[in-house]
Amino acid sequence: MRKMPLTRLIEIFVILSMICAVPLAVSAQQTNYPKVKEYRIERSIPPEAVACIECHRATTPGLFGDWAKSRHANANISCLDCHLVQPGDTDIAKGHDKYYSRSDMPYGEGKYKVPIASIVTPKDCSRCHPDEVTQYSRSKHANTIEIMWKLDPWLNKGMNSDNERKTGCFNCHGTVIKIDDNGNIDPNTWPNAGVGRINADGSKGACTSCHTRHRFSVAEARMPEACDQCHLGPDHPQIEIYEESKHGTLYHAYKSEYNFNAAGGTWTAGVDYRAPTCAACHMSGSGKVLTSHDVTERISWETQAPLTVRPENFKPFPSKSDWQTERNKMKAICQQCHGDSWINDFYDGFDKAVEEYNEVYFKPVKKKMDELYEKGLVDKTKYFDEHIEVQYYELWHHEGRRARMGAMMMAPDYAWWHGFYEVKNRYNAFMEEADHLLKTGEKAHIWSPYPNATGNTKRPVEVFPE
Amino acid sequence: MKKADEVAVKKSPTLKKLIKPAVFIIIGILIAFPLFSITYYTMVRTSTPDFCASCHEIKPAVRAWRESTHVNNAVGVVVDCMDCHLPAPQNTFDFFFAKSYHGLKDVAIHFFAEEYDRERARKNAYAAFENTECQKCHRNLLNMPNSRGAMLAHRSVIYARAGYEKKCIDCHYDLVHNDKIAVMYRQYRKLPYQAKGLRVEKLGI
Repeated sequence: MRKMPLTRLIEIFVILSMICAVPLAVSAQQTNYPKVKEYRIERSIPPEAVACIECHRATTPGLFGDWAKSRHANANISCLDCHLVQPGDTDIAKGHDKYYSRSDMPYGEGKYKVPIASIVTPKDCSRCHPDEVTQYSRSKHANTIEIMWKLDPWLNKGMNSDNERKTGCFNCHGTVIKIDDNGNIDPNTWPNAGVGRINADGSKGACTSCHTRHRFSVAEARMPEACDQCHLGPDHPQIEIYEESKHGTLYHAYKSEYNFNAAGGTWTAGVDYRAPTCAACHMSGSGKVLTSHDVTERISWETQAPLTVRPENFKPFPSKSDWQTERNKMKAICQQCHGDSWINDFYDGFDKAVEEYNEVYFKPVKKKMDELYEKGLVDKTKYFDEHIEVQYYELWHHEGRRARMGAMMMAPDYAWWHGFYEVKNRYNAFMEEADHLLKTGEKAHIWSPYPNATGNTKRPVEVFPE
Repeated sequence: MKKADEVAVKKSPTLKKLIKPAVFIIIGILIAFPLFSITYYTMVRTSTPDFCASCHEIKPAVRAWRESTHVNNAVGVVVDCMDCHLPAPQNTFDFFFAKSYHGLKDVAIHFFAEEYDRERARKNAYAAFENTECQKCHRNLLNMPNSRGAMLAHRSVIYARAGYEKKCIDCHYDLVHNDKIAVMYRQYRKLPYQAKGLRVEKLGI
């Protein structure tokens, strides 16, 4: 009899504690939820922009959160400052209008309706950053579609498909954006943040290639990771070369000490960073050299071309400067950390690598290739459809570039094993095959049908006006 | 005594000497005053938008101007053709020279040249514009707490780096002389005003 109430008491206690535990558990769970980023409207901002912010906080919180952490948000630069267009503009996203009649959404009211464009272009950025856009517009980055169409056999001979181009080539190089009369962007041209994108307003490129949406960070573009989405792989492994170089090694060892957020024009070698990143040498101001958004400005050899030439002699897009001026600029940047003998002797090795590549490997191979075409042993109508054409292509486009770029950025494995070692093997294999054809008079075997050679061969009129 | 006589004798020829120039000055004023008045009147008469619109070539530009926010705004300020298209009147010589030169040139072109190309004229006007003409009125361009992007851009114009000099109209173009379907009232502008960004041809490509 006495035991009964005790068990009952225990029972009650257990039940009560369980009931109490429920709200405890709930509150414990809540602390694990990420909190939605606050944005209190404390400075004057047009009501239409408030509508953008409040609606996009709910619908695309990631995008909003990115912006809220940006320098733009810090300076009260809202969605409208970049996305607003004027009535009658060709790039109005008409589909966006419907959100202003969605009563289930905050601010889904007609009175907030403004015409906006989905794609923000360098021209839009130039409203506040005109000098950066001017520099960028004359770079090889901005003009890469023109360069590509002037050189590339994949495009000009239609050797790959339009989708292979969209997902491959154009992802980095950029598409020619097309918008129909209903304001819909052609899905073959979008999404895209390629460096040479041709925009509906005629401007070239995408600032968001390096300063990604919606953070638009200077710090991000100063990191080598900003470049490595495109500058990697068998044909131009700049990031792998950088990683192998001492610069890359030091970057990885010391990046936690780097001050990537230094104000524009103040990022200083030896103070804010120990070893340079891609941007530090190719773009940032350093010593007396001023910052430039023309990424190819300080280059003194075109190491990506079949025959290495000086930038002012690069026919598809000759630079407006001369190589000696630009090399002196680059040397001035080296001088922030290196002495003259180090710099000059390094350039000596690089210049020799270029000369050896040009004279010993490329020129004889080119001469032989021309002879094969001349004698009709290799067919000229298509490209990549004969084994020897691929041999020739990979000699300059793959290992030839690796050798030159590896020498340039002091990555021994790329200069030699992935570079000149492979160039040598390719040279021998090419010569053997070419000599065999010349000796026997046999025509090179043509791979036919060539798979998926369906791409459009018409040059874009936006770049090449008729 | 002798001395006083000498002084008296000397005085009268001096007075006589002064009469001649005084007469000339009075004649000069009598001729010059109406002349200046007529010149001034001519300048005033030929400085109105109505006078500019008396050439049929210029009519569309004047019409577009009349519909623009440079005429229609809540402060009641009207910016005339002269205010933008000629040097400031305080630069008197430049003003008269530019005005007379353009007047004569326009008459000559009206009679002797082929068709008037508005787009070409627009490009020429863009090339001829100086920032000082806009800055006669738009002077406080650096402190705009509601538009920090513009603050940044304006700094790059007013304190331009060598080689990066820009004109106001490189970004603020098509502001006045664009054909509109309705009169633009600045106070009724629904969308916030934004410059358009650098004209593509200004990007140095």
